[in-house]
Amino acid sequence: MTGDTTQVVVIPCSGIGKTYGTVSREAAYDLCEDLRPEGTMLVAVAKLVMGEEQARERIRTCPVVTIDGCKLMCASKLVTLSGGRVAHEVAVLDVYRRHKELKPEGIEELNEGGRKLARVLAEEVAGVVDEIRRTGAPSGGPHA
Amino acid sequence: MSEFLETTADKFTFRVAMGRSYSPEGVWVQPETAHRVRVGLTDFLQQRSGDLAFLSVKSPGTRLQAGDELAELETVKVNLAVHTPVGGTILEVNKALDLTPEVVNKDPYGEGWLAVIETASWEVDRAKLLDAHAYLSVMQSQVEQEIRNR
Repeated sequence: MTGDTTQVVVIPCSGIGKTYGTVSREAAYDLCEDLRPEGTMLVAVAKLVMGEEQARERIRTCPVVTIDGCKLMCASKLVTLSGGRVAHEVAVLDVYRRHKELKPEGIEELNEGGRKLARVLAEEVAGVVDEIRRTGAPSGGPHA
Repeated sequence: MSEFLETTADKFTFRVAMGRSYSPEGVWVQPETAHRVRVGLTDFLQQRSGDLAFLSVKSPGTRLQAGDELAELETVKVNLAVHTPVGGTILEVNKALDLTPEVVNKDPYGEGWLAVIETASWEVDRAKLLDAHAYLSVMQSQVEQEIRNR
């Protein structure tokens, strides 16, 4: 047990101009600014692309949760390429498949379905964050 | 001889399986017996459409004429109706796609098949389809059109 002090780094997809990328970022904001502001740190994937040292240090020392918008899984791959370890990765599409009623549309501004989907996703990841903070790892492993 | 023809445009490579017939819209047809064919989506159609979220294929027993809607699919980009290029009766649908539609994206010519159809007039339908080389040519034109429209 590591107690409840672990900071979890959250890295959403950078799919600018893509609906599912927007959902991933909205979910990350919901998670880090509203649901779990004390236990999470939001890091932009662009900082890893640019090799920013502070961002790289964070992903090397903290458990990382990635939220990807498409199968390219850029956020997840960049964490690994930058020397970090992904504790949990989630894809927006997988969550949408479980919530068909929440069809996301829009890019600059999501429709109601998209906002709700982002919230559902954020709540699911909040549970993962809690588990990581309690135990140091999610029960389902890095690709749960 | 390779199992696939392929063409590359920009960062994308599209494959066309040999030994099958194709509709210009991107549905492949593979004869299994004299009156039975397996159908699915081409690599180009699945890549152009994007990651599948949901896929619904008409039920076994459904009678279709060539051109009728065979399946509906929803991807991260589009909602799309897929039309059968052969008439007949659906014998079997790929139930695995209910839970894992992404298999169509991963393996469009293999595990991602859509349905098996007992054909009503295969020779008539086949005469309207393209072989792999002819479809490759049509597909290349469609790819170029896509690039011009960006």
